[in-house]
Amino acid sequence: MDSDHGDILRRVFSEIAENMAFMFVEEPDDETPAEPENDDLVLAHMVFSGPFSGRLVIAVPAALCPEIAANVLGLDPDDELVKAKPYDALKELLNVTCGNVLPAIAGEDPVFDLTPPEIKKLDRAAWRVLRDMPGTQQHLVEDEPVLLQMSVEK
Amino acid sequence: MAYNILIVDDSDTVRAVISKTLKMSGLDLGELHTAANGQEGLDVLREQWVDLVLTDINMPVMNGVEMIERMRADDDLAALPVVVISTEGSTTRIEELKAKGVRAYLRKPFTPEKLKEVIEDLLGG
Repeated sequence: MDSDHGDILRRVFSEIAENMAFMFVEEPDDETPAEPENDDLVLAHMVFSGPFSGRLVIAVPAALCPEIAANVLGLDPDDELVKAKPYDALKELLNVTCGNVLPAIAGEDPVFDLTPPEIKKLDRAAWRVLRDMPGTQQHLVEDEPVLLQMSVEK
Repeated sequence: MAYNILIVDDSDTVRAVISKTLKMSGLDLGELHTAANGQEGLDVLREQWVDLVLTDINMPVMNGVEMIERMRADDDLAALPVVVISTEGSTTRIEELKAKGVRAYLRKPFTPEKLKEVIEDLLGG
């Protein structure tokens, strides 16, 4: 991913997080790598194919997911729907980000096929591998570290 | 006139968000029905009076395009307005959907005001 695409992804993700979840995306103050407080980490990922193909990934501490869900739904974090589907809103956040970043890069005409987002658990070692990959962006949302990466096939 | 609306999306969260957005829009709402895929949507349409369908495209079991095609082939459902709500918004795909009879397209995220505007355009405010 070139730096222009990285800037577009950063802008689109910030707008979507703010509009959908009323959460502000901040950049870390220094060069210290984003390190979560515990090992309870989740990753949402989806694949896109079209004029160019690739994968969009977001990784967050699991504790952030109910907050995202509560904000997206306008509910209390203890609400039954939030507790029953704590990761759905993270998947939707990724889905909407993907749907908006691709036309921002490729223009409004090309058709992209998107796979449904999937969730998997991460351990700290996998978090660090993703964090240190070229092109991975580090953000802060509600003071929690968030990793965002769009990889494009050559 | 209170509108009865069917929301078709495979995500509980998205259905809840669309329901919340409809309630925030100020539209005069009747019954809100929900379905998790196109097949469930057709089942609801055959049992309930619905004025408008809001549907996603990518869903398991039966996707939104197939549901729309089956509606158009059914005399009782052919004229029912359908709005697609999706993350995918290429002009090419929107034209394909309109050729299948989709009346309007909303790309996520959207505001209550935008949703109200689209529905009132279709059903008359």
